[in-house]
Amino acid sequence: MSSRNGVCVVVGASSGIGLAIARRLCLEGRKVAMLARRPRELEAMAAAIDDALGRKAAHAYVHDASDLDAAESLFVRIEQELGEVDELHYVAGVMPEVAIDEFDLGKDRMQMQVNALGCMAWANAAARRFLPRKKGLILGVSSVAQDRGRCGRPGYNASKAAMDTFLEGLRNRLWRHGVQVTTVRPGFVETPMTQGLALKGAISADRAAQLALAARDRGRSIVYVPGKWRLIMFVIRNIPSVLFRRLSI
Amino acid sequence: MTIPWNDEFVRGWGMAVGGPSRVLRPETKEQVADAFADVRARNGSIALRGSGCSYGDAAICSGGHVLDLSRMNRILDFDPLTGVARCEPGVTIRDLWRTSIQYGFWPKVVSGTMAVSVGGAASMNIHGKNNYAVGSFGEGIRRFSLLVADGSVLECSRTQNADLFHAAISGFGMLGCFLDLDIELKRVHSGRLRVGAIVCKDLADNLETIERLQGEADYLVSWIDLHAKGAALGRGVLHRADQMKPGEDPEGVRFFDPCLQDVPTTMFGLVPKGWLWPGMWAAVHSGQVGLVNALKFSFGPREQRGSPYLQSHGAFHFLLDYVPRWQWMTKPGGLIQFQPFVPKASAERVLRQLTETCHREGMIPYLGVLKRHRPDPFLMTHAVDGFSMAMDFAVPTSKRKRDALWAMCQRLSDVVLDAGGRFYYAKDALLPQPAFERVHGSEAVRTFRSLKARCDPRGMLQTDLSRRLMG
Repeated sequence: MSSRNGVCVVVGASSGIGLAIARRLCLEGRKVAMLARRPRELEAMAAAIDDALGRKAAHAYVHDASDLDAAESLFVRIEQELGEVDELHYVAGVMPEVAIDEFDLGKDRMQMQVNALGCMAWANAAARRFLPRKKGLILGVSSVAQDRGRCGRPGYNASKAAMDTFLEGLRNRLWRHGVQVTTVRPGFVETPMTQGLALKGAISADRAAQLALAARDRGRSIVYVPGKWRLIMFVIRNIPSVLFRRLSI
Repeated sequence: MTIPWNDEFVRGWGMAVGGPSRVLRPETKEQVADAFADVRARNGSIALRGSGCSYGDAAICSGGHVLDLSRMNRILDFDPLTGVARCEPGVTIRDLWRTSIQYGFWPKVVSGTMAVSVGGAASMNIHGKNNYAVGSFGEGIRRFSLLVADGSVLECSRTQNADLFHAAISGFGMLGCFLDLDIELKRVHSGRLRVGAIVCKDLADNLETIERLQGEADYLVSWIDLHAKGAALGRGVLHRADQMKPGEDPEGVRFFDPCLQDVPTTMFGLVPKGWLWPGMWAAVHSGQVGLVNALKFSFGPREQRGSPYLQSHGAFHFLLDYVPRWQWMTKPGGLIQFQPFVPKASAERVLRQLTETCHREGMIPYLGVLKRHRPDPFLMTHAVDGFSMAMDFAVPTSKRKRDALWAMCQRLSDVVLDAGGRFYYAKDALLPQPAFERVHGSEAVRTFRSLKARCDPRGMLQTDLSRRLMG
């Protein structure tokens, strides 16, 4: 359980790990601003959570994570409506299908926009407030995919690497001011984003959320979810490029 | 236009019956219409098949065509605020709840396996463990469009083509092919149910306890040890489950994650359950089923002491999915299920007589399940105001023993029909033709035949079951 008790913002809260994190934060007794694109789905999910809990905990805010300029004003609105925010969870992410012979700037741009720039927009908005308050948490859900550039998804790998490195920089800036920045790198998780990929040994989104929040509580900087991915990615990171390019991973 | 029919041997889920057919797996409604046109031009016959979960011959068309609709499995629309889903017929119950549970909705009626398709569920008008309280699957269907034999599409609901609406649901695929169906789901306030076990010492105790609890429990199902004799005949363990009220189980909000609803695929987190059927096969073929039943019953009191406990909806409902391919334990003969629906007044007498007959003839079902039912408004319904007892028989390989099993079941069905009982076509494999009128009454059969003549005058839609029952 977090030592903080203010409002939580979850960006990308209508599916997968974001939704699972939002549910667990609501269970912790926090007021949660759930941000996602599709209004009906988001409203229905927030209503289902409130209904199960028997109290108002989830607050739906329609937001497109690629709309970078909207982040600051929405942050202001959330603080006005719900109170002071002390946790930001950035979980929004897109991973479009990319064929092996496809080089599509549109898809790459969308991934950079949502996965990397969206995170920067929201983390900046949070950091601006958390720094003077000398408290707060920024948790970003990156990916094991950020560790290497793979032939299958260059755009996704690059966007997650940008997000991950940005969060590291932010951590180094903010730690001396009592603001925690935690980067979560999930491996295989069963979510709508990974539907149809037949990932062997995938964990549930709820389990991923549990591990992410445990890392938050222990004040961890970077955590692989589940933990075995630290070892797997250590091996993958150290495969020489000349070999890696010949592998189908 | 050439339709890529594929020659296959198509079996019922119980593997005891089957036949060679030309199979097509369409992905769009246009392909379904083309397949109908092709069979119409050949003056052939065609059966509609969903997930192939009917135990007997309801989705088989020996020597004809089979339209396997499992690839028409898109949820065309889901309203997350009202919980109404528009589904293609091949969408499974699993597809449905995996979409809906995150919004706090669960199908009103689910079967013991989540593999069942909604098209099949509507055709058979399946029931769940809450049949006595909410009725059958069809009662949650708002509307559907039906492709009939001549290629036209009819819109059906309680107000439009109402006769067809009430006959196609329960009409075992005889009137047309569902192209899309609007299905209402229900709100759940937790991803879990409160479950309790009650040990019942004999058949009367079992029936009385169900009768007593049906006004208050949301789900009731009783496992029966059909090997028990004498005073213990009909003993079993009854499970009741109740839905949570808002705020009653906050932790249950986590179980809106679909992954937490799926039944575990491994035992102790290690042994894949798909490997368990050979052990079960050994129990069936070494005559140890009675011992397994007695053992299961002996665990009942412990479970009752530990009740109530919380269980995900999926874990409570989908017992048949706990051990993948469990029906293989009855190989090579396969299995049949005999499931009579008996009016409540004569239930104890009839069910006792059926069980005693099985004992006398030495052909005892390896599994028995008791449920409570209520009538519904569908034309070819199997439901009565009474009880059903599902009896699963492993089919022997020797022809003599197989014939003896068939003959015994015919005698059992006479007992059931004499008492005003009914049968369920998703399970049936052996009811003879005269039983059709006895089950439904001559007026319902006449109405059904006239609707069949209207929608499919040349009798293109056929199954081995329809040939057996309707001639």
